[in-house]
Amino acid sequence: MTSETASVPLARERRRSAIRLPRVGLHLFLIVVAILWLAPVIWALYTSLRPYSETAEKGYVSLPDTITLDNYTNAWNQGEIPHYFLNSLLVTLPALVITLFFAACVAFVVSRLSFRFNAILLIVFLAANLLPPQVVIPPLYRMYLEIPLPTFMSETGKMYDSLWGLIAINVAFQTGFCAFVLSNYMKTIPQSLGDAARVDGAGVVRQFFGIILPLCRPALAALATLQFTWVYNDFLWAVALIQSGEKRPITSALNNLQGVFFTDNNLIAAGAMLAALPTLIVFAVLQRHFISGLTLGASKG
Amino acid sequence: MSGIRLDDVTKRYPNGVRAVDDVTLDIADGEFMVLVGPSGCGKTTLLRSIAGLEDVTAGTIWIGDTDVTEKTPQQRDIAMVFQNYALYPHMTVADNLAYGLKLRRMPKGERDARVRDIAGKLGLDELLGRKPSALSGGQRQRVAMGRAIVREPKAFLMDEPLSNLDAKLRVSMRAELARLHERLGVTTVYVTHDQVEAMTLGERVAVMRDGVLQQVDTPQNLFNRPRNLFVAAFIGSPAMNLIEAKIDGGRVRFAGIDLPLPGGSPLAGQERRVILGLRPSDFEHAAGADPDWPRIRVKPDVVEQLGSETLLIFGVDAPPVMADAVRAAAEAYSDDDGRLFAGEERAMFTASVDGKRPLGSGEVELAVDFTALHCFDPETGDALAVRRDAQPVA
Repeated sequence: MTSETASVPLARERRRSAIRLPRVGLHLFLIVVAILWLAPVIWALYTSLRPYSETAEKGYVSLPDTITLDNYTNAWNQGEIPHYFLNSLLVTLPALVITLFFAACVAFVVSRLSFRFNAILLIVFLAANLLPPQVVIPPLYRMYLEIPLPTFMSETGKMYDSLWGLIAINVAFQTGFCAFVLSNYMKTIPQSLGDAARVDGAGVVRQFFGIILPLCRPALAALATLQFTWVYNDFLWAVALIQSGEKRPITSALNNLQGVFFTDNNLIAAGAMLAALPTLIVFAVLQRHFISGLTLGASKG
Repeated sequence: MSGIRLDDVTKRYPNGVRAVDDVTLDIADGEFMVLVGPSGCGKTTLLRSIAGLEDVTAGTIWIGDTDVTEKTPQQRDIAMVFQNYALYPHMTVADNLAYGLKLRRMPKGERDARVRDIAGKLGLDELLGRKPSALSGGQRQRVAMGRAIVREPKAFLMDEPLSNLDAKLRVSMRAELARLHERLGVTTVYVTHDQVEAMTLGERVAVMRDGVLQQVDTPQNLFNRPRNLFVAAFIGSPAMNLIEAKIDGGRVRFAGIDLPLPGGSPLAGQERRVILGLRPSDFEHAAGADPDWPRIRVKPDVVEQLGSETLLIFGVDAPPVMADAVRAAAEAYSDDDGRLFAGEERAMFTASVDGKRPLGSGEVELAVDFTALHCFDPETGDALAVRRDAQPVA
């Protein structure tokens, strides 16, 4: 009896010390990685809060004399940031909604209905996703110059240089990935729910809108967060397919803050911080969905 | 309300598997029909075919006077209860109950009244505003039942609705189900792999194996007059004792034991090999049993005292019956009755005797009700007529 009671704390002690060392190593590693990730952002934030004159004199690696928000007001006014924010929203939100809707439709067919070409369809969608976007720029550019749009949609009468074109290409490139994720998610929804709905009298459309889509909310929220970030952060398509400066979304419009002979890095840092703000807000708001989306498949309640 | 008729229904999957093989079954209006069989026997596929969730390869399905073979589930006007209940997780209990009515465009007032009525009957009033995730297993089960009842369909189809409940709740829900059927009198097709559930609930029970209907009969007849070896081995708990035996001079001989055939048995004049079946309940303590019954002395390996009855498990000096049918039936119950067929060298018999009578240690003398013997053809597995009065159901 005595030997047993004595050995219990001993064993616990041993176990704890065995766990400790790798734990410490892990935490050290995580701290280093976190710093590496955050350093550029923090530096940009720091730079954006210092006046140009000071950094010109003392260099960027120096302690601050003054902290000011002047760069932000300048960027906001001089760079017409509100206008470009609006452009970004006009592209991102429709692209987001259309992408998720299309992807959900494809995923529903692929995962919930027995359709002969299910596997092929999914592979085609995925394969398109593996294509590097840079490869298709030249043909796409040509196509966009050929595809007519009514003038109320595009002043030039072409897909090229219109926000519609930008929405279309973002939808095209993001649907594959979303369809893949959503179809995997939909597969985890018990088949019997669809059966129950059919017996209850729901046709395919009702099953989709009434049962499956609402149950995909966590996955849709997670994807919306991701997609918002990706579409909003897009630089390549905006540069390649938009000619007029005033139609560009904010990411590529930051270029406007750069002078021909002189570049105010502090101003650009402030502009970049402003441009990054919406993605941070979206993530903060949808974070709950994001995390529940990551864990939901693990335990069925 | 209406009956259900299946005419030569076959379901073949693209990979060639015949899940349901030429099933013809007539379920009367208001009848409680249980489909039972080991897993993979096609009972659920058959139920889903009736629901319209599976297309059949051949045959016709009638609900009432309508041929519904080509109709969609929603056109068939049936309600189904699923094994995992399949409640819509994003809807409240009230919405779950009302969904089917809503899709049938019932006016809101009438809909609400019906939902409230059913909720009252099933004791769900307090839960109407809750989501399924906030319900206990038993409550979810009641909601699933309520969702079926509220529609007032032509028939209920139930796919192992009690299998997710714990043992105690299952027994009480079984009784509730029987009462429910008595009150509503709606045609019900009930799928289960649990033969106790089948025997207690079904007015008639259809035993299936490998997609083929083996026997459709009342529980009593399935128990007393199994049509073949599979049904004999499958129905009854503990399972029927089976052993290879020889009929010779009006007696059945096996493992040094010989029992008389019932008087005037059609088998009496024959000399042949059979598989002999003895229900555990056809053994009795020698003292107090009918003096005409033959006695055997056995040395039990295991004595299980269950209170009202005592199970004696003893070895018999003969190899166990390894017919496919027996093995298939045994596999369905590997968790409780597997021991009967597990002993590779010696067959194990189970005798169920009166639990009130004390047992001495060592050998026990048992009486055997020889009038209740079952004999099966060793090749085909078909039942052979043992008694003069009882022709096997062919």
